[in-house]
Amino acid sequence: MAFNDLREYIAAIEKSGDLVRVKREVDWDMELGAVCRRNFEQSGPALLFEKIKDYPSGYAILNGPVATWRRVAIAMGMPHDTSIREIYAAYEERRDKKIAPTVVKSAPCQENVMTGSNVDVYKLPAPMVHDGDGGRYIATWDIIVTKDPETGWTNWGMYRFMTHTQNMLTGWPQATSQLALMMKEKFLPRKQPMPVAIVIGCESLCHMVATDPYRPGENEADYAGGLRGASVELIQCKTQDLMVPAHAEIVIEGEVLPDRIALDGPFGEYPGYRSGTMGEGVLVQITGITHRKNPILTLTTLGIPPDDSSIAASLTAGVAMKRGLKRRGVPVKEVYVPPAGVTHLIAVSVERGGNRVARQVLDFFTARRVMVSKVIVVDSDVDAFDMDQVIHAFATKCHPGRGITVEHYEGRANALTPCYDADERRRLKGASVVFDATWPDDWEPEGIPVKSSFETTYPDAIKKKVLAEWKSYGLGEKR
Amino acid sequence: MKKEYVTFVRRLRDLSEGKELLFIKDLTPGPRKYDTKLVRANISRQADKLPDGDVLWIRSETGYLHSEPWAMKILEELPPYVPGQPWQDLFVAMRQL
Repeated sequence: MAFNDLREYIAAIEKSGDLVRVKREVDWDMELGAVCRRNFEQSGPALLFEKIKDYPSGYAILNGPVATWRRVAIAMGMPHDTSIREIYAAYEERRDKKIAPTVVKSAPCQENVMTGSNVDVYKLPAPMVHDGDGGRYIATWDIIVTKDPETGWTNWGMYRFMTHTQNMLTGWPQATSQLALMMKEKFLPRKQPMPVAIVIGCESLCHMVATDPYRPGENEADYAGGLRGASVELIQCKTQDLMVPAHAEIVIEGEVLPDRIALDGPFGEYPGYRSGTMGEGVLVQITGITHRKNPILTLTTLGIPPDDSSIAASLTAGVAMKRGLKRRGVPVKEVYVPPAGVTHLIAVSVERGGNRVARQVLDFFTARRVMVSKVIVVDSDVDAFDMDQVIHAFATKCHPGRGITVEHYEGRANALTPCYDADERRRLKGASVVFDATWPDDWEPEGIPVKSSFETTYPDAIKKKVLAEWKSYGLGEKR
Repeated sequence: MKKEYVTFVRRLRDLSEGKELLFIKDLTPGPRKYDTKLVRANISRQADKLPDGDVLWIRSETGYLHSEPWAMKILEELPPYVPGQPWQDLFVAMRQL
């Protein structure tokens, strides 16, 4: 079942016990962020703040729409206790399906309209998320819509934007992002502003698609339809030639300016640090703001995992990586992006290991823009979704000399990787490493160490007997 | 009543006493808190050097807050942007003004 809008999704997670309504007044200036952050660190429910200081009654903020696997499962229309592996499998099965969007003439997201001199972004309750942020990040869990003026390709991405003045935002799509490539290739050479729509508060699968690294030229709106199993309704913006989800809560329309810049950042970002990405972003002139009556601003108070970013990206990036590795001929079995690794650490299991395969894996992750810095490759008998098993394989099978391969690069590193120094971040200079925790492919089978586990050590007859008699030993099952 | 602002620099050592071009954020409570201005201002580590000045808090590029605020007297308010291309280093662009 597809949710038509955020409000239907909120009703569903409230029914399942995954939402708390905060009815007392909360200050948008850090108090709200602090509540959300502590709640994330306890893997708590989604929070719907219904009374925001300085703002009209009815204006609300929703933090953490998909910050737990339970809520991701609900967003996908699955039982809330679906396992992570099953959620990955369902996403993988649906990921390539396309359902074209439907264009509508009127929409809830345009119930209220501000244009021209009436534009005032301070009429919306943008939170000061963390102490020390460069400003009020109104767009954290968003969809940023841009369109290629030549091909008509409409890109959805997820990037941060903060309030600058009442009619300007600054933001930081990474310089290697698809938004940046479109701006640099299609607008900057002509010194033209790039139309942009900052969409806030859709049902969750639309936002998750925006985090999925679909290839340039692919319209994420089609894939959002496929993932939902229902067409996404779109409506024309009021002031820009862009189509946006009709059921969004808030749409900020504007232009990325080609010849003016201002201060963006710093911001407590998804790796869990304010790592110094500041003053290298973009400036948006707002041309219009539309919103529903009593708008709900979606927020993810980024930081130490888990949060929406680390959970959603685990799923969308993990499935996309598996596809990419297969395309490259890697005998991949499973890919898992552990949320605690914030897309910097990836576990890959392969049907056939060895140093050459590990090198193939590293080549895939470093071929273009590089968001991943550490990859652990394990044999297929290791459950990539079980980090205890992955760590055991890494600790025992990765040769400290021969099992580690490092690739250095410049101009395409992840500027948010906290261990890079300021100069590396600015030059997008970095490195990625693959830890080969597989048995070498040239070892003779009789010489390969045998894993000492119940499953691998004993004859079938013994195992069968032990399992049959288990309770008679006075033992129960693992809780 | 002195107003309070905050500015961001890469490092505190980048800031010099005297006339500076700064993006500042207004810390006056209310729905417009953190509104940004670009100003030319006289700034000083010592409040008594700018007795009619406002309070300027300083944070680094990681948001680190320096414990002692400076004093600031706004001389001129400019449009809230500088010439430059997206993703260009803002502080380099500001030095060229």
